[in-house]
Amino acid sequence: MRFGEAESLATPMWVERNTTCQAIAGHLASLWDIPSGLDDGGDPLVTEKGLPHARASVLNLIVTVQDEAAADRVVHALIGLGVHHPSRAIVLVPQQGAAGAQIDARISTHCNETEGGGDRVCYEEVVLTVRGEAAEHLSGIVTPLLIHDLPTHIWWPGDPPFDDPVFDQLVEMGDRLIVDSSDFNDLLTGFRRTASLRRRSGVGDLSWERLAWWQELTAQFFDAPRFRRYLPNLSRLRIRYAVAPRATTRHDEDADVAPGTPAPMAQSLLYAGWIATRLGWRRHRTLKPLADGAFDLRLEGRHEMVDLHLEPTVTDDVPPGDLLSVRLSSLGETGAAEFIIDRDEDDAMVATNADGMTALLRRVPMETPRESDLLSAQLTVDAADPVYEMSLRAAAILLASSREAAA
Amino acid sequence: MATRVEVADEQAGARERERPQRPSRDERQPRPNPLREGLRLERMAEPCTMVICGATGDLAERKLAPALYNCLLSGSLPPEFTVVGFARRDLSGEAFRAHLLQGINKFSRNRPAKPAIWDSFARGIEYHRGDFDDPAAYLELAKRLDRIDRDRGTAGNRLFYLAVPPALYPEIVNHLDRAGLAAAGERRRSGTKRGWTRVIVEKPFGSDLESARTLNRELAEVFDEEQVYRIDHYLGKETVQNLAVFRFGNGLFEPIWNRRYIDSVQITVAETVGVEGRGEFYDATGALRDVVQGHALQLMAIFAMDPPVEFHAEDLRDEKLKVLRAVKPMSPAEVVTNTVRGQYVSGWVEGAKLVSYRDEPEVEPDSQTETFVALKLGIDSWRWAGVPFYLRTGKGLPSRVTEIAVQFKQAPLALFARAGVPQIDPNVLAIRVQPDEGILLRFGAKVPGQGMQIRTVNMDFRYGSSFAVDSPDAYETLLLDAMVGDASLFTRDDEVERAWEILDPILEAWQAGQGGPLHFYGAGTWGPPAADELLERDGRAWRRP
Repeated sequence: MRFGEAESLATPMWVERNTTCQAIAGHLASLWDIPSGLDDGGDPLVTEKGLPHARASVLNLIVTVQDEAAADRVVHALIGLGVHHPSRAIVLVPQQGAAGAQIDARISTHCNETEGGGDRVCYEEVVLTVRGEAAEHLSGIVTPLLIHDLPTHIWWPGDPPFDDPVFDQLVEMGDRLIVDSSDFNDLLTGFRRTASLRRRSGVGDLSWERLAWWQELTAQFFDAPRFRRYLPNLSRLRIRYAVAPRATTRHDEDADVAPGTPAPMAQSLLYAGWIATRLGWRRHRTLKPLADGAFDLRLEGRHEMVDLHLEPTVTDDVPPGDLLSVRLSSLGETGAAEFIIDRDEDDAMVATNADGMTALLRRVPMETPRESDLLSAQLTVDAADPVYEMSLRAAAILLASSREAAA
Repeated sequence: MATRVEVADEQAGARERERPQRPSRDERQPRPNPLREGLRLERMAEPCTMVICGATGDLAERKLAPALYNCLLSGSLPPEFTVVGFARRDLSGEAFRAHLLQGINKFSRNRPAKPAIWDSFARGIEYHRGDFDDPAAYLELAKRLDRIDRDRGTAGNRLFYLAVPPALYPEIVNHLDRAGLAAAGERRRSGTKRGWTRVIVEKPFGSDLESARTLNRELAEVFDEEQVYRIDHYLGKETVQNLAVFRFGNGLFEPIWNRRYIDSVQITVAETVGVEGRGEFYDATGALRDVVQGHALQLMAIFAMDPPVEFHAEDLRDEKLKVLRAVKPMSPAEVVTNTVRGQYVSGWVEGAKLVSYRDEPEVEPDSQTETFVALKLGIDSWRWAGVPFYLRTGKGLPSRVTEIAVQFKQAPLALFARAGVPQIDPNVLAIRVQPDEGILLRFGAKVPGQGMQIRTVNMDFRYGSSFAVDSPDAYETLLLDAMVGDASLFTRDDEVERAWEILDPILEAWQAGQGGPLHFYGAGTWGPPAADELLERDGRAWRRP
């Protein structure tokens, strides 16, 4: 059983229209008073050790979404996070320009059994719909509601409004911003803006997190010293990624908070940017400019010229944007070798073909992580991730080059 | 138009240029894998072959197969990784793989195994039939391992897991040696001259000092001590490792971790179960040998040790050994006053009836074996002199819990006594190893209102509620440690022998009938009343965890 599946609403939902920050903060504070009654199951709301249900004090999470429907999807993903992360999650639905009550609030407490049973761990979820002028001053509303001394993560599903002062305010307030570059409407601008954000301890990217297993498998090829010697002589990197069939919409219960994938190239570019920065490849010239999601670039490696080829494949077996295949080939003086990861629906074939050696071939698990798992993994990171930031800048350079005319 | 803009981060490039030139690298040391940097998975086993001696037994099925499969899923096993099962039974490779698969499907935290993944992993699993006393079987094994090195690229790295009763260790290690399988690298007589050889042995590490010394000597005749990994799965648990982080990674606790602030320490290793079909083994062993010798003394040593110079296996084990050396073995008279042994009679545990220990199958009807022990130990060191360490362990206790509880000294002045407040409970810091791994601090707080009333409250930290990552099973951690060559969580020969030096006088006194009586306790209680009296004499009481 996963955490989160045994989730239960521990206190009745508190709903207030046209309320104030003080009232919300007051209600949040009262949640942890020892109640006198029994909970739904007839258990006293105090454990035998004299504690109310244990409260996890780990972090504040602020999520900003476009509308109420998106807020519901976020709440769903947060439940998937289960007991692990947010001590307090604040979901903001800003409606600038809308008339009506200024702040509507919805507060609930979610509790989960801890592993091994016994005590329960709870976190609070606050959904705020903010209208009118107040929506332009979100940080002022959120700040008094944060739990002190805990890191504050800002999760911005969808396309972040990089030019909106409200976005700046919130990013400034948080310790870390989490975006999903696959959701950027303008990928190049998004990459560049994300790379140049002012922030305290960094940016996380769910699309980067989706690559974690691909990176691990790629690194494993070269853990063995006998294969590491091929690295400087790599001469080709081919990446295939998934795009959804046109005119069909993929339906998935655990689907992205922002449905659809505006930028299916994001993961492939980040992956290519990662390899390029790790191996010190430089841009050389454009062989075939970007058209229909495919392009060819020539890069300059340490010993060889490297051809980078990206192309989409229409499929609905895996979510759009996910990598389908990576092939790294070497033709240098060390001889021909090819390192292959080919993904099927939920596993992958990993093969090493190096000349003079028996091909090593194996199947490894390759499941599509749930969005909550990605978020969860990103929330564990406290510090800046320099490898991501370098890969992000490289991805922007690769994308910009692909838009140039062939040289 | 050819442009030459760096894809690689320019700032980082600049940093690299500024860095002073390192001395040239030893040619045999390959450059590190540049793709590894910054990846989440930091530890990855080196390519190797793991030979499981006694591969058709319970341990391989219940623990090793699931642990290896989970390591595979988490990506910690390299593609070259190969398993060779070595046992007497006449099995085909196919049947052996089915045996392991069954173990995964029954016991793994990720189950059932995925057919495609398993089929691919199973291609690296072989079975080697042979009698442990037959030299030819080892020569054949040596040939097989050489062939695997060539075909699968395991680079001459070999891990032998002795999943057999300790009585067979000497025979197996001697034959390994004669077949040229014990030596590592250059010292090998045949086959590849590269790679390491390590051997994992399971507890019990002897049944007293004499037998432990014999066992260590027999291992030492064949292997260097740094090749030997004595596994105790308790030490692979996250909390045990976190104990060191808690103590030495935080500035707050170490200054008060001594006799000046700590009143006493209680270590509890409680099990609810009975002997669970291991009657014959247990009746010959007892709680002192089974639990105190390994887990309880190790927990105490890690709890009490001084900061190691570096967080490396040898430094850690040196510090643990210093603690054990400071524990003074008891005189027969001290055994009477400082130990309590008990045996459970039938009772109810967790809603089920547990029959009396003596009514268990394969247990002598008049057995004197202890199923419960309580001990008062002292560590005669600068840091701990005068602080009693109370250890207790038992079967058929009310709840399954392993914890270390530190009781701090009272505030020097009873400032609130004049306001009519009785003695405030001492502060307690409890470190729970299982279940619900976590750390709890108890302190006094004023009850709101006009009067002065003080109540003890808890501050509670749990792993489950703070970290999203599933803790790996202890065997996963330890197998990977052995493959990586990190012996920190394994016990060294001198530690084992010192533990027996502490326990031997107790065993001898009990055996001679001079160590106080065997007390009986009902299953489902916290042991015999004599265990409570052991603490009451000192004006203390056991915690009810």
